[in-house]
Amino acid sequence: MPTNSTVEISPSDVAQIVESVFGTMLSLEVNQGGTPLSPDENHLTSAVYLTGEWNGALLVDCGAEQACRFAGRLLSMDPPGTVDDDVRDALGELANMIGGNLKCLLPHGIQLGLPSVADGGTLHFRIPHAEVMERLTFQCADGSFWITILRIAPKAEA
Amino acid sequence: MNVLLVDDSKAMRAIVKHKLREAGYGHWSISEAHSGDEAYEISRTSPPDLFLCDWNMPGISGFDLLQKLKSDGCTARFGFVTSESGPEARAMAIDAGALFLIVKPFTAEDFQLAFESAGLRQ
Repeated sequence: MPTNSTVEISPSDVAQIVESVFGTMLSLEVNQGGTPLSPDENHLTSAVYLTGEWNGALLVDCGAEQACRFAGRLLSMDPPGTVDDDVRDALGELANMIGGNLKCLLPHGIQLGLPSVADGGTLHFRIPHAEVMERLTFQCADGSFWITILRIAPKAEA
Repeated sequence: MNVLLVDDSKAMRAIVKHKLREAGYGHWSISEAHSGDEAYEISRTSPPDLFLCDWNMPGISGFDLLQKLKSDGCTARFGFVTSESGPEARAMAIDAGALFLIVKPFTAEDFQLAFESAGLRQ
């Protein structure tokens, strides 16, 4: 039985999932590369948890303006001027879709949780006993965004 | 065709409706429910012809909703639109009586293929 520490996820597989989600749902070509993650006060993080034989989380990080543009593309409307519930909902769905497809790379029986979104100034998203397994930077016409896979140690290992 | 679109995400409900129009089903009557519980209540008073339902939702899940409807004898057709992409989810869905499972991300063609294979006509 695989344990949290023995499960490996290939960055190229993750990149393929991200490219597919953004290409299919937002008609947006994305490529790996860009500036490293450096959250500022206009930053949003959406997260979805994966639990079971492997425990972790998938995070999508981007700036507020970019989140609005993503929401506009996803909902086929003009981008909202400020972060509202539609923007949070859209960013949560992006994490949900990427996380759902990530399940295929993980041991069978992993449960996908509901997405959550953190925004608001200098708020930082922190998960206890979590370590970064992969962090990929992507560039697209709307700017850079980041995908992070966290491995969360089960309580016995923590 | 009366469709009940069940998803806790307003954004996803809007996207699915947009894709249905793009796929040529814009003339179908589409109602929305934001939870499995709400969908269940609606089905008791005005059952749709087709449920298009997310899997993971707060409250009762899409899968639980399907089982509940089937145990009540509901004959409406049921399909999932979900991020659950694994073969186990597909097998569970079909075994429980779903006609298809459309995985997010999806295209308009995915809806056409699923509906055609399920014998649903425009």
